[in-house]
Formats: sequence, C-alpha cells, structure tokens
Amino acid sequence: MSAQNTGKIVQVIANVVDLEFPEGKLPFIYNAVTVTNPTISDEKENLVVEVVQHLGNNVVRTIAMDSTDGLVRGMVGTDTGQPITVPVGKPTLGRILNVVGRPVDEKGPIKADKFYPIHRPAPSFIDQSTKIEILETGVKVIDLLIPFPKGGKMGMFGGAGVGKTVVLMEMINNIAKQHGGISVFAGVGERTREGNDLYHEMIAAGVIDKAVLIYGQMNEPPGARARVGLTALTAAEYYRDEENQDVLLFIDNIFRFTQAGTEVSALLGRMPSAVGYQPTLGTDLGALQERITSTTKGSITSVQAIYVPADDLTDPSPATTFSHLDGTIVLSRQIAELGIYPAVDPLDSTSRVLDPNVISPEHYGVAREVQMTLQKYTDLQDIIAILGMDELSDEDKLTVTRARKIQRFLSQPFHVAEVFTGKAGRYVKIEDTIRGFREILDGKHDDIPEGAFYMVGGIEEVLEKAKED
Amino acid sequence: MAPLREIKRKIGAVKKTKQITKAMNMVASAKLRGAQQRIERFRPYAEKYSEILMDLSARVDASIHPLLEKRAEIKTVGIILITSDKGLCGSFNVNLSNTALRLTKQKKEEGKEVKLFCVGKKARNFFRVRKYEIEESYPDVMNNFDFQLASDIGSKMNEMYLNGELDEVHVVFAEFVSMARQLPQSSQLLPVQQDEKAVQEEPTSEYIFEPSMEGLLAEILPRFIKVQIYRGLLDTSASEHAARMTAMDNATKNCDEMVGQLTLVYNKARQTAITSELMDIVGGAEALKQG
Repeated sequence: MSAQNTGKIVQVIANVVDLEFPEGKLPFIYNAVTVTNPTISDEKENLVVEVVQHLGNNVVRTIAMDSTDGLVRGMVGTDTGQPITVPVGKPTLGRILNVVGRPVDEKGPIKADKFYPIHRPAPSFIDQSTKIEILETGVKVIDLLIPFPKGGKMGMFGGAGVGKTVVLMEMINNIAKQHGGISVFAGVGERTREGNDLYHEMIAAGVIDKAVLIYGQMNEPPGARARVGLTALTAAEYYRDEENQDVLLFIDNIFRFTQAGTEVSALLGRMPSAVGYQPTLGTDLGALQERITSTTKGSITSVQAIYVPADDLTDPSPATTFSHLDGTIVLSRQIAELGIYPAVDPLDSTSRVLDPNVISPEHYGVAREVQMTLQKYTDLQDIIAILGMDELSDEDKLTVTRARKIQRFLSQPFHVAEVFTGKAGRYVKIEDTIRGFREILDGKHDDIPEGAFYMVGGIEEVLEKAKED
Repeated sequence: MAPLREIKRKIGAVKKTKQITKAMNMVASAKLRGAQQRIERFRPYAEKYSEILMDLSARVDASIHPLLEKRAEIKTVGIILITSDKGLCGSFNVNLSNTALRLTKQKKEEGKEVKLFCVGKKARNFFRVRKYEIEESYPDVMNNFDFQLASDIGSKMNEMYLNGELDEVHVVFAEFVSMARQLPQSSQLLPVQQDEKAVQEEPTSEYIFEPSMEGLLAEILPRFIKVQIYRGLLDTSASEHAARMTAMDNATKNCDEMVGQLTLVYNKARQTAITSELMDIVGGAEALKQG
C-alpha cells in the first residue's frame, strides 16, 4: 500500500478502541485496522481491531481481537483497507490458528497463497443443495431418534456439565476419524485444555493433517470470541467452494459467540434487549449460521455445541439458534442425573430427517414407537409417584418396564469417555441399533433385567451381560 | 411465563388427587372397622368348628363320607380366588392373584386340569387378561355380602365335587393378621383334610353320636366348606380395607411430597422470572440514561 491510511487512538474502553482518521478517509465497517501493542509481543502491527461503528467527527469505534492492555491515546492505527483475512487451503492443514489467521502452534508462519476475508455473504438460494443423505454416527440414541443429515447442521443443547463436549468429541472420534475429507474444529470460548487435548488426540489418531483447528478460547477477549466462528467457517467454506469437498465443521461452543457479542454490545452503546442480550442477537447469529450450509458444489456438515444458560431452553440465545438447525440434540439434566450418558432427551430432541421419505420405514417406525413408549412412561410417572406401580394395569406395567429398558439401552459407553467410565467405547451400526430397539419393543427381552441394558453396545451385548449376572 | 402456569396447574392437580386419596383413606378406615368386627366375631366360630370337625374326622375312616375321601386319581382341581372388586389398594390384589396363579401353574405342571372360580372383579380381570378360562365368576359382591354367598359357592363346590367334576378344591384368600399385615393364603377345602396328628393321638374325650356318625358328618361336612369360604370372604374383605387404608395413606403422603417439590420449583421459576424482568427494566433504563 503506497499511501497508508493511518489514524490515532482517541479512547480505549476495555476491548473497544476509538480511532480518529483524517477527514474523508474513514475505514469501512468490518475493515481491519492494525495497531502495534508492545505489551502483547515485540512484533509490529500485532493487534488487529475491527471497525464496527462510525461515531461521527471522523471517529470510528473498533473491537480489539487481542488484549488492549498497554494501548495509550495517540498510538497509530493503520487501515488495511479490507476485512480481517485469514489464510486458507493446504498450508493451514494440521495447524492451529487464531481468529486473525495467525498460527499459535509455534510451528512457524503459514505460507499460504490464498487469503479469504472472514466476512462473506451466505450462499445464494439457488446454490444450496437439496440432497438429503444420512450420516451414521455410531451413537445409538442419535442414529435412532436424531439421524444426522449429511451436509446438515446439528445442534447439541445442554446446560453446564451435562456432557456436550464429550458428545461432540465422540462425534469427532466417530465421524471425523473415519471421514476421508477435511475437518475444521472451532473452539469458541471453551476450555483451552480441551482444545489442547483434541490437538494431541488428533495427532495420535493420525488425522491431524486433514484438520484445521481454529481457537479463540476462554482466555481471549470478547472480540476474538465473537469472530473466531467466522474464521473457522471461512476455512471450511474454502474447501466447499474451491475444492468441492465435503467438510465437517465442529463448533464448541456457539453460545460463547453470542455471549461475546453481548459483552461488546454494551460497550458499543447498544441498548440491551431481553435477558441482557444484544439487540442484534438474531442478525449476528443469522450471519454466522446462514453461511454454514451445503451447496451444489460441496457440503459442510456441522455439529455445534450450544450451552443453555440455567437449563432454560427458552433463553433467547438457544431459542434463536434452534430455528437455524436441521436437528437438535437436547441433553437434559434429569437424564444425566439418572446416570444415563449420553444424556440425550429422547422426547425433546428432533431431526428434520426423521421422516419416512428419508430414512427407512422400519427405522421411522421404531423411532416413533420408542418415543411413544417413553412418552407414555413420562405420562404414567405421576401415577407411579403417587399410587405406586401396583395400581397400573398389566398393559401399562409392561409399557413401563419396556420404557425403562429402552431408557437404559439408550446409554452407551463412549470412546472418548473411556478414562471416566473404565469401559471401552462402542460403535453401533444403524441397522443393529434399529434391530435392538425393535426387539425390546416387540417384548423379546421382557425377561431380561433392566440392569443388563445399561451402558452396552448392541443388543447381543445385553444378552451376554444378562447371562453373566 | 408459560412454565409457571404449567407448574401451578400441576400443583392443583396433585392437590385434588390428594383430596381423593385422603377421602378414600377415611372411607376405607370406616369400612375396615365394620369388616374387622365381622371377622373377629366369626373367627372363633370358624376355628371351633374346624376343631370339632378335625376331632370328629380323626375318629372315623375317610371312606365313611365322600367329602373326606382322597381320590386315587386327581384330574381336575378347582381354585377359588377371593379378591376385591375395586382397585387402589396397593399390591393387595396382585399378591393374591399371583398366589393363585402360582398354584394354578403348579397344578397344571402336575398334569391336572384347573377350574377357576373368581370372587371379586379383580380376580376375574387378572385371569381374563392372561387368557385363562374362568369357570365361574362372582363380580361386585365384596361390598355387601352375607353367608348366603358363601353358602351358594359352597353348595356348588360340594355338588361339583360329588359329581366328579372336581377332585380337589383350594381356596386363595387374604388372611387378616393385623392392620399392617395381610397374608395371602391358600388352603385345601376338599377333600376335607384329616388332622394327621389328631388321628395318631388318642381322642381326648369320648363322644356319643346321636343319631349316628354318618348322619352327623353328612350335615356337618358340607357346612364346613361354607364356613371356610365365608371365613375367607370376611378375611379378604377386612384385609382389602386395611390394604386400601395403607395404600391411600402412602398416596396422600406422596402427594404432599410432590406438592412440596413442585412448590419449590414454582417459587424458583417465579423468582427467576422476576429477576430477569427487573434486569431488563434496569438495564434498559440505564442504557437510556447514557444515550
């Protein structure tokens, strides 16, 4: 750039930085401005700030992507003339990037010849794919009741500590490791330790050279957490649009994206909306979610973990996210309290593809019958609580015992949870899952105690376990 | 907020259930008093009757009367099951029915045919659901019965036994031990069992039979069956009310517990709603002040 457009810092409030530019040379909204912050490192231009507001009097308001400690008024910011751009393509494989596309794995700079801006339009309507195909996950409850569409968006809702991350990791283990294509993992505002664990696991599994990890974890300022999702998405979009690949995108945790937005929203002077969220909640989320989609060229299959504040699914953040997804896996505390993991709520979770036109009629029938049995059990629970099992009719008693068996059979030992459960993980094929539940519904296993159904793989293992006891 | 109303509705429902269970508990306790009196008055009679009969039958050879005689080949077994007509008494009916079911299965395994006589609706329903053939059922009798019912059933048993349609008759009923204990019992009615011990021991006292031993037994034996059945009916009736009392008492307690838990949930939800509304208002006001 010949004549660099520079401005001066006039105000710093936490992560929001105001810069004054010369008359008529204001950077556009979403443009990246670089500042040298000596407290971060000795490098020049090491702090990227993104323009979000024009305040008047030639002042722009920006959000910082890194620490603003040490900034003083009068420091110089350089307009890059474009939004934050990140390297994409082959050179990024096997690397860990941060929100602005810089490597953080201490393996040297990334020599990429392609850079993409992180703010991009969503694919247009005609480009979107309408093909529906099922993806096997190897997790019984998900395959049976919440089938994954290939190229779809699945959300995993759950309060604190019900096992969102564990289910997500199992998905990575079961899908990404078998999957031939590229996987992108976005760590948004979650534990740095988990991000580190995943990196080393991927190295151990030998899939690291087909994966890109993009982290903006808890330790990062809100600006980074509010944008890192877009960075990861950009990386995935490259493979979809340019290389026509099927990409897997894992995001843990999309709620942190909203939360980061909330954190900066007030600093930007926006009036808080319901429950203190930013008034632009729907727009922010839409801008991200609408880009996660499959086109006629390639597909992005995404699995997102979504934290549910105070276990309240009607909270604006999860409620807004709901509408964007093809399927929702709801992890419930009541089920986790029963000791059933994965704690998927079989009645609250849904999938768009649980449809007899997509899955086999047998699968559909079993799934609906399982839900019906469990629903009946829930309805009867009040009677049982007050009057006891003995007052139920024989038919209802049978429903209850089968429902309890189904409930237990929905649990499954996970590969990634071996250290916690001490049990080897199980991968169950869809056909085996359907057959197992069919047999329970048909009453073939009415004589087997319900304990045998707990934490096993296929139905054969139930029989074995019952024989041992 | 929708969940709030939902919880409140549920609390209301549980409270109403509690009223019903409480009322049923009181009704059961009132009925129990009557039923308990009846069984306590009748039991000494039944016991003495049985004592005398045992004493008598011990002196005679079994062949003297067909009701005493054990048949060489037992083809058909009759089982009288006495339960209540109404539910809501815990595991009372299930326990009784299962005792009868076990007996039925056991007899069937021995290759015998079983004919079921069900007194009370619950007994009939139990075997009907399990696709058993029921020879005869007496529904809706437990609420109000007298000796006539026992007499009818008893006559039928005697008749069928003497016809050879039945070779053995058992009765399953709930013995009223105490308010808290009701024991499902099964005992053999026909052929009348002779007390083995009494047979071996020397008779304690001498009797003079008037007009004759045979005549006396012909009168006393059929009546003995009826007395035993009547006793079973009374016992079961008292047990039923006692069981219902306990079950309803437990249900009332469970209702209380549930109301407590739900109230807690309700209050928490209410408080959360208030807090978030307050926060919205305060936050909005603050933002307006700054702007």
